[in-house]
Amino acid sequence: MSETPKFTRCEDVAPLLVFYTCDELTSEEREQIVAHLAICDGCRAQLSEEDALQAAIDRMPQAADQFESSGVLLAQCRSELSESLDELSAPKVKEGWQPFGWVRAWMALRPGWSAAALLLVGAIVGTQVLQWVPVGNGNGNGSALKVYAAPRITSDTLNKMEVSGIISRPTGKIQLQLQAEQPMTLSSDEDGADVRRVLTFVISNSDRFDAGVRLDCVEALRAAAADEQVRAALLSAARRDQNPAVRLKALDALRDMAGMPAVRDVLLETLQHDSNPGVRVEAINLLVRAIESGYELPELAPEAPDSESPAQGMAPQTLPLPGGDSEQRILRALDELRQHDSNRYVRLRSAAALRQIAQQDMQ
Amino acid sequence: MPLSRWVLALADSSGRTSGSAAALATVTSLPNLDERALVSQAQAGNRAAFEDLVRRYDRDVLRLALNLMKRPEDARDVYQEAFLKVYRNLHRFRFECSFYTWLYRIVTNVCLDHLRRRQARPEDQAPEIHPNRMEEGPRDFFDYQKEHRPTLDPERTLIGKEIQSRIARAMERLSPRERVVFEMKHYQGLKLRAIGDALGTTEETVKNSLFRATRKLRNELAELR
Repeated sequence: MSETPKFTRCEDVAPLLVFYTCDELTSEEREQIVAHLAICDGCRAQLSEEDALQAAIDRMPQAADQFESSGVLLAQCRSELSESLDELSAPKVKEGWQPFGWVRAWMALRPGWSAAALLLVGAIVGTQVLQWVPVGNGNGNGSALKVYAAPRITSDTLNKMEVSGIISRPTGKIQLQLQAEQPMTLSSDEDGADVRRVLTFVISNSDRFDAGVRLDCVEALRAAAADEQVRAALLSAARRDQNPAVRLKALDALRDMAGMPAVRDVLLETLQHDSNPGVRVEAINLLVRAIESGYELPELAPEAPDSESPAQGMAPQTLPLPGGDSEQRILRALDELRQHDSNRYVRLRSAAALRQIAQQDMQ
Repeated sequence: MPLSRWVLALADSSGRTSGSAAALATVTSLPNLDERALVSQAQAGNRAAFEDLVRRYDRDVLRLALNLMKRPEDARDVYQEAFLKVYRNLHRFRFECSFYTWLYRIVTNVCLDHLRRRQARPEDQAPEIHPNRMEEGPRDFFDYQKEHRPTLDPERTLIGKEIQSRIARAMERLSPRERVVFEMKHYQGLKLRAIGDALGTTEETVKNSLFRATRKLRNELAELR
């Protein structure tokens, strides 16, 4: 038989009437309650009260009906939730360690005191600390630092520029007109370093610039040949420029420097290897001039053995070689030209140069 | 009382549906398939899918919160806190129950927390607003005599208002759990087993809570017999 307890007594039925009214009993429980109610007036009266209570509860106005009838609250909630989700989705800014955070907080709250404190700190640092810290050249005198304006010409500008004009004034002032991303004019008075940089760049890059421009640049640099970088550029042009006029001009610009070993090396090299007779003659002239003017010739770099051998082989047929070894090398080179140069004028000029040197030695 | 979708879903998940609820639960089972995909997408970080889920149930969430908290600002807090918890913990949802049940569990827990907090510190709380009390206004002899609806008996109207007022008062004295159970049973229309699922407790415990709540209300109304 069924094991379900029988609800036959009122004290068993009464607690279940609450669930009977709200339909939370099993079908078997319900059947037993119904059977008991049919025979019990007291439980039926209690059920009526439960029904009345249930009805009163159902009639209770709901807060949700009053507050949310317009849907404004729901819209507000959705908006706030969306904002919160945005914040959650956004990557967090990592708050690292903030040194002196308390100082900054203190200063933010007291701007007047902060300004005064900063001025005081600046004054103390300016007057006291500098005594302990070596400045400039280290002599502690507080000597002024040389401050140069930033160069206007950058490497990028040099690579892209074109020279549209070089104006050399009788006063020695040079003005350069350049076509770059922005057209610009440089003056040796104001942009001396930049002018020199442009001019040396032009003569060092003969493949990029017109021969006429290179000639003008060499001419413009003539006055600055004593400068090491300028001299190096002129020597480079004398040795490598494709145009003989430029090489000639470069040698001419170095005229007063012929006594210097590096210059004499280039003159000797030109004498022996330059393809243009006019340039070779100019090299002869400069070497003779250097010797005649009494320049003391420093030791030249030793010549390569293979170039020495023919010279030594020619020695018995040449004039006696006065002076030191370096001068003898020049004389041998001149004698070589006198005998073998393809150009008649060069041979004649070499012979004349040897005679001049011999006469000077005899004197 | 409108039958919310939660009612259907929870009744369905409890396996003890009957009558119209069961029929409606069957009708709504098809969208549940879409919901599973929505939940999966939301779990994968799809913000739009999550917002779609919110839009489906937030009306019911807000209604429950308003009825329990009786204050719009508290209901807003519950709404916000509950859905943010859902957002943060969605990756833990394993489809072992319906999404509705899971959501309802979170919402009721948040409501319980708020109600317990309110009970623990009543001095910090603004008084609850009861709709029937707001409509009362100043009451004097002529208020009792006024009859706005001539078809009704004025005495019955007066007694009805008194009953509602006493019920509201008695509900304030319910424990948070009793209040939640009472609200979910009578105003959300949930079955006791579904309420137990949402609260994470047994049907028997819920039954006891509902019995105690009803007895408190009956005691409050005893004088009016």
